[in-house]
Amino acid sequence: MSHLLLIIKKELSELLRDKKTIINSIVLPTLLVPILIFGAIKVTEMIDKKEGAKTVKIGLVNAPEDFVSLVKQDTLNNITHYEKVVDFKSLISEGTIQTAVVFPTDWQLQMDSLRTGEVQIHRNGTKDNVNGRVTKMLASYNAQIKEKRIARLQVSVEKLTPFKENYIEVSEKKELIGKRIGGFIPYLFILTMWGGCLLAAIDLVTGEKERKTIETTLSLPVSKFTVLLGKAIVASLLGFIPALLNLVGLIAGLKLIDGIPASLKLAINEMLNFQSVTMIMLLLIPFSLFLAGFIIALVAGATTFKEAQSKATPIIMLIIIPLVLAMMPGIELSWATVLVPVLNIGLGVKEIMAGTIDMLQYAAILASLVAFAVAAIYFSYKKFSDENAILK
Amino acid sequence: MIELKNLTKSFTTTTKKGFKKETNTVNAVNDVSFACRPGRIFSLLGPNGAGKTTTLRMIAGIINPSSGTAIVDGVDISNGNDEVKKRIGFLTGSTGLYERLNPDETIDFFGKIYRLPDQQLKDRKEYLFEKLGINEFRKKRMGQMSTGMKQKVSIARTLIHDPEVLIFDEPTSGLDVITADSIIDLIRESKENNKTVIFSSHIMSEVDLLCDDLAIINKGTIIYNDSFENFRKEMKATNLTQEFINRVKEA
Repeated sequence: MSHLLLIIKKELSELLRDKKTIINSIVLPTLLVPILIFGAIKVTEMIDKKEGAKTVKIGLVNAPEDFVSLVKQDTLNNITHYEKVVDFKSLISEGTIQTAVVFPTDWQLQMDSLRTGEVQIHRNGTKDNVNGRVTKMLASYNAQIKEKRIARLQVSVEKLTPFKENYIEVSEKKELIGKRIGGFIPYLFILTMWGGCLLAAIDLVTGEKERKTIETTLSLPVSKFTVLLGKAIVASLLGFIPALLNLVGLIAGLKLIDGIPASLKLAINEMLNFQSVTMIMLLLIPFSLFLAGFIIALVAGATTFKEAQSKATPIIMLIIIPLVLAMMPGIELSWATVLVPVLNIGLGVKEIMAGTIDMLQYAAILASLVAFAVAAIYFSYKKFSDENAILK
Repeated sequence: MIELKNLTKSFTTTTKKGFKKETNTVNAVNDVSFACRPGRIFSLLGPNGAGKTTTLRMIAGIINPSSGTAIVDGVDISNGNDEVKKRIGFLTGSTGLYERLNPDETIDFFGKIYRLPDQQLKDRKEYLFEKLGINEFRKKRMGQMSTGMKQKVSIARTLIHDPEVLIFDEPTSGLDVITADSIIDLIRESKENNKTVIFSSHIMSEVDLLCDDLAIINKGTIIYNDSFENFRKEMKATNLTQEFINRVKEA
């Protein structure tokens, strides 16, 4: 077995015997997405059910009969009639009522003379459930009156509708959804990858210093470059595997969890096919090596786990900012953005998922990531070879 | 055989003072020359920070000299230190073993790194495990072992490739007397087997027990280098410790 393989095997055995690594790199990434999907569905269902079953206490002033009967149709509406406008602000804030709908005293006259009346709605803007239900009732009442007026004026609906919009979607559903949610997918696995690489790199470099084994490792008849490369490969594996498990978790979650809209499920399944998953994973291999090399270079001089973490953690911003940029409208994959690490993955994954990736640009992303990985490994080798830093 | 020729090691440190950077170069080891012969034990003595560890690390190929060189078992360290490392067994006071591996895996790893043939590795491992009493805890992880157990495994990994040159850097530092005694036995046995042995220490009783030749290093410079017999003859103080202190102070 070559020295490199021996180093990789030894480092992997050591890392995979650490409970912290197993939890962070295997268990959490696999379960994270299914738990998130399942949790989001269940919580949304629960909130909808709970909100739908809530009684809304409505105060009405001068409400016409037809509106009152509309409100009464929902048995959960609790109506209080007021003779005139009172201090609704206090009544709403103390919870006596949740909203108040005030009609003008001459409402019926205004309606009969086909004028536009003004209805005041006293409400607390933060109560989405109450406001939503009241808005819906008012919209329905408005439509009801409009219909009556059209009938009374004996005008055909056609005459009042100059045109109707008919949107014909030319993009495939896959492209539409891919562009919309494709930006979120790299968030999942790049952040997991960062976490995996960070933990592993710190353990493999600073951890060796803390456990006082670095001198033992350096006394081996193996070049420093081989030792460093072995460590970088293991750190990148520990970043890549969680990212892969993230994706596996996402696919399994979509297949096994009920409650996801069928059209969305179908589109995502179509997006995450073998070809697109392979293309995404291929990008992540050099990227994980780049991350591992970069983190090793950062922590090479640290003597404690804490110092290493404080040196490496702020760099997360360099990951998050390009990922956020990748989700912003107007920022597209171009010949300029293919060379920006992280941003190119964010934009590339979006295009891959939408099925609109330009293969030349994809090759450029891959080549730039390989170049960045080589540079990061070289940089980390320089740091790892610095006797002042590594034997501190 | 180890032969040091004008070995020098400088460390450059940079300190930031506001917007200014200050660079400081210190010679940790300065123009050091001495020779250690096979079948003899060479002691490198010196107070803390004198340059003992730096000298031994250069001989072991862990760090590179700034100038000068050393010939270890016929190999010049300036010609690539991997060849040198193959010929050396390096043991330090802090055991430095991989905590999540067990003794079996540790010795297998070292044996394979030293490219020992499978059968030779197996035989040598069994011999050392038997001799050092490692068999009863050979499947226990290093992190769960006592210091004494770890030190035994450290000895086994140092000797697995039967090196011609053995380097011990304060090997008994922080160990209890029983564990320290096993290291002293190992050093003696290596001498009997005609190995070249160099060890650093500041424990005079150990020096007295083992030493054939010695060098005293202070502030990176050799201030004494001769046989232990001659050192004894030249002694002005009543005991070794006092003589060592006097020589360091005089230098």
